[in-house]
Amino acid sequence: MQNRQGWIRILVVALVMSGCAVRPPEAPVEPMTASVELEGSPAMALLQRAESARQQGQGAAAERYLERALNIAPDSSWLYRALADLRLSEGDARGAEGFALKALRLAPDHDDYQASLWEMVATARERQGDRDGARDARSRAAALRNPVARPV
Amino acid sequence: MAKKTNKTPARSRGQAQRKKSPSRKKAAAPRRRWFSWAFVAKFSLVLLVIGAAGLAYLDAMVRERFDSHVWQLPARVYARPVELYEGRVLSREDMLKLLDLMRYRRDAAASTPGSFAVQGSRLLIHTRGFKDSDGGETPKRIRISLSGGQIRNLDAGGDGLARLEPLQIGSIHPQHAEDRVLVPLEQVPPLLVDMLVATEDQSFYEHHGISLRGLARAMVANVKAGGLVQGGSTLTQQLVKNFWLTSERTLSRKLLEMPMAILLELHYSKQEILEAYLNEVYLGQDGARAIHGMGLGAQFLFGRPLEELEPHQLATLVALLKGPSWYDPRRRPERAMERRNTVLRVAMEEGALSKADFDKYSARPLEVVPRGASALYAFPAFIDLVRRQLARDYPPEVLSDEGLNIHSTLDVLAQLASEGALKEHLNNRDPGEKQKLNGAVVVVAPAQGDVLALVSNRNSREAGFNRALDAQRPMGSLAKPAVVLAAVREPKQWSLASLVEDGPIQVKLPNGDVWAPQNFDKQAHGAMPMVDVLAQSRNQATARLGLDVGLDKVAKTMETLGVTRKVPQYPSILLGSLALTPFEVAMMYQPLATGGFSTRLRSITDVLDKEGKPLARYPVSTDEVVEAGPAFLTQWAMQQVVEKGTARSARAYLPKDLKVAGKTGTSDDFRDAWFAGFSANHLAVVWVGRDDNAGAGITGSSGALPVWARLMGKLPQRSLSQTPPNGVEWVWMNPDGQRVSAEGCGDARRFPMMEASIPEDTDGCGSVKQSGKGIKKWFKGLFD
Repeated sequence: MQNRQGWIRILVVALVMSGCAVRPPEAPVEPMTASVELEGSPAMALLQRAESARQQGQGAAAERYLERALNIAPDSSWLYRALADLRLSEGDARGAEGFALKALRLAPDHDDYQASLWEMVATARERQGDRDGARDARSRAAALRNPVARPV
Repeated sequence: MAKKTNKTPARSRGQAQRKKSPSRKKAAAPRRRWFSWAFVAKFSLVLLVIGAAGLAYLDAMVRERFDSHVWQLPARVYARPVELYEGRVLSREDMLKLLDLMRYRRDAAASTPGSFAVQGSRLLIHTRGFKDSDGGETPKRIRISLSGGQIRNLDAGGDGLARLEPLQIGSIHPQHAEDRVLVPLEQVPPLLVDMLVATEDQSFYEHHGISLRGLARAMVANVKAGGLVQGGSTLTQQLVKNFWLTSERTLSRKLLEMPMAILLELHYSKQEILEAYLNEVYLGQDGARAIHGMGLGAQFLFGRPLEELEPHQLATLVALLKGPSWYDPRRRPERAMERRNTVLRVAMEEGALSKADFDKYSARPLEVVPRGASALYAFPAFIDLVRRQLARDYPPEVLSDEGLNIHSTLDVLAQLASEGALKEHLNNRDPGEKQKLNGAVVVVAPAQGDVLALVSNRNSREAGFNRALDAQRPMGSLAKPAVVLAAVREPKQWSLASLVEDGPIQVKLPNGDVWAPQNFDKQAHGAMPMVDVLAQSRNQATARLGLDVGLDKVAKTMETLGVTRKVPQYPSILLGSLALTPFEVAMMYQPLATGGFSTRLRSITDVLDKEGKPLARYPVSTDEVVEAGPAFLTQWAMQQVVEKGTARSARAYLPKDLKVAGKTGTSDDFRDAWFAGFSANHLAVVWVGRDDNAGAGITGSSGALPVWARLMGKLPQRSLSQTPPNGVEWVWMNPDGQRVSAEGCGDARRFPMMEASIPEDTDGCGSVKQSGKGIKKWFKGLFD
C-alpha cells in the first residue's frame, strides 16, 4: 500500500520537475552581522564595548558587557555567539559549547551563520575530547555550507 | 569537724605572727636608713626603668595598631544596578520609587550626585557612579523621559547608556561585629571637620595630645552654659579611647589615655589622626552591629553618602559624639535637635558657619530616615542566599574584615512586587492576629539564572527560617511536566495528542501495599489527550502515563531538569511525593522555561575588593539538557494549564496576549499549595503552607496561583515564543490522537508535533494542509 503511494509521488515529482529543469539563480545572501539583530538597540553599544574590552585583554569586563547586553536583547543569537567566542578564547570549551548551542537555537535562518556556529560547537567539543560530538557538529556545518550536498 | 580543722591553721598563723614580732621591734632601729637618698635614687631608677619599659610598650602598641589600620570592613552586598536605556519598560512611578529608595534628593538643578529634578514629563538625574567589573560608571547628569510605562528618551551622552548605582542591601558580618564605610579625609566635607574641632577640641591643631588649656576652656564654657557643652579630652585622647581602650571610666584608663595620646601625636600628623578619628568613632548600635565612623553614620541616619549631607545633618553626626545613645535622633529627637543646634551655634561662633546659614539650618528638622526604611535590612532572605553562595568560596574572616563589594542579582522592583503579592494574598486569606499560613517566593530570570527576588516570610523584613531555601515540601503536581517531558522525548510513541486513560489505577508495591491514586474531584474522566491530562492535572491519567513511559525515565528526566536529590523510583513520584524547597523547584523549572537550557541559579555576579578592583566573577553558563522539540512541546502543554486548565484564573491579572506557562501543585491533605510558572523573562515559584505542616485547606489554584499572578502582573513580561523549533510542526489532529485532520473538521485540535509523531494516516476530513516542513516529510516519504 505504502509502496504504491511512493511510486505515485515519484511520478508527480517527475512531472513537476520536467517543467523547471533550469534552476533560477539564487539571490546572494547578505552576510550575518550583529546589526541584523541589534540595529538600533542599546545592546549594540554594549556589544561594541565588549569587543573593545576583549581586544584589550579584559575578559571579565567583556563578559559583564555581554551579560548586560543580553538583559536588553535576550533573544539575540549574536550575543550568545559572542559569549561562546569569548569562552573559547579563554579556554572554557564547555561554556563555549553551551553558548554556541544556545546561539544556534536562536539563530535566524541563515546557513553560513548557522554553519559557523556548528563549527564553533565542533571546536569546543574537540577541546573537551568529544570526538564523536565534534564530528557530528562538523558534518552539520558542512551540510549548511554546501546545501546541494544536503540530504533532502 | 570541718570548723576545727579550719581553725587550726589560723591559730598557727597567729602564733607565727607573734613569734615574728620581736624581730620587727629589732628592725625599728635602722629605719632612717630605709629612707636614705641612695634608696630613693635606686627606687626612682627602678620606677624610671619600669616607666620607660611601659612607655616603650605603649609606644609599640600605639604604632602597631595605628600603622596596620586594620579596620573590620564587612562585605557589602548590592542589588543589581538599574540599567537605563531607550525602550526599557519602566513606569514613572517605579522610577521615582527607585530614586526614593536610593535616597536621591530633589534639587531643581540636580547639581550634585544623588539628586534629581522633575522637569515636566522629564527627569533630570545626577547619578552617583560606582565601580563594577566592567569599570562601572562615573557620576553624570542624565535626562530621561518616561511615558506609557517606558523610557521614551534618554540623554546620557556617549553611547546612550546609563546606570544608576546599585542599592546597598546588606552587609555580611559576624555577630557583634563592627561596621563602617571608610571615608578618606579628602572626601570628608570640610564643614564636618570644622564643626568637630569647634565643639570637641578647639586647640586640636596646637596641642600635643593633651590640652590643659582645652580642659580649662571646656570647664569655663560648661559653667557659662550651665551644663556640659564641651568635653575636656582632646580628639587625640578620644581616638585613643576608641581605638585601644574600653569605654569604662576607670582611673587606670585615664592614666593610660594621656601618655598614649602624646605618643600618638609624636608619631603621626594631625591629618592622619583626624582621618582615623572620623572613621573610628563609635556612633551607635544597630542591633548586633556597631556603627563606627562618619561614613556609616551618614548612611545609618540619613541613608546617604557622607559627601551628600547638608550642614544640619553633619551637625547631627557631631552631636552624637557626646553620647550616641543619649542623643540618638530616632529615640530622643528633642535632645538630639537641641544638641545639634548647639553644634551649629558653636560652629557659627568659631567662624565655620555664617549667621544666615546658622539660622537656616538650625530651623531644619532632623531628617533622619526611619529605622525600618533602610534597604540595608529589607531583604534578609535574599542576603541569606548570598551569604550561603559566598561561604562556598570565601572564609568568614575575609567576608567580615576585608570590605569586599558584592554585586548581587537582586532586582529591587521584582523583590518588592513579590513581597507585596504574598503579603496581600495571605492577609486576605488568613487575616487576624493568629497567622497560620506562611509562604515563600522565588523569582528568577531564566535565561541567565539570575535570582531576582527571594521572599521567605509573609512579613518579609523578618529574618529567621528561610522557607524559600529550607522548607522542603512535597511538590505535588509540579512533578507532572516532568512526566509529560519524559513521554514526548519518545516521539515515536507519544505526542501531546496521544490519548491517555483517566480511570482507576492500582499498583502493587514491593512492600505489599497498593498504590491507588485518586483524582482531585474523586472522579475518573476517561480517555483524554496528554495535553489535557496536564492542563486539568489529572492524577490517574498522569500515573498511567508515567508508568507506561517508565519510572526510570521519569526519574531521569527530573534529574536532567536539575533535581539534585536522589529521585526514588516509586510510582508516587509521578504525583510529586518528592519533597523540594521552593528554590529547588525554581532550579527544576528553569530548563523548562528556557526551552531546555540549564543554567545554574546565581545570586552574585561580581566580587570587587574594597577599592572596587574586580576580584572574581560568577559568570553565566548554560548547558543544553533537553532537546529543542520536546522542550517546546512541554512548554506549550504548560501554556494550556494557564490558557484553559487549572491556572486559567491567572489570566485576569495578565496582559491579554501574554503567553505564559506554569503548573499548579497541591500536596496530600491540602498541606502545600504551589504554583511554578514563567514568561520568557521571569520564572516565579510560589509556595504557601503552614510551618507545622498541618493541613492548610489550600490548593495550588487557590493558595499559590493568586500570588504568582499578582506578582507576574506587576513585572514587565515577554511572551513565550510560539515558533516551533526545527523538527516540530503545527498539526491539526483528529480527537483520536492517531490521525491527521484539518482545521474546522469536527473536534480537530491543533498541536505542536514532533515530526516523528505525525501519523501517516489522515481522517480524510477537509484538505489536509501541509506546512513547508510537511512537504519535506512528504518528499522524504518518496525514498522510505
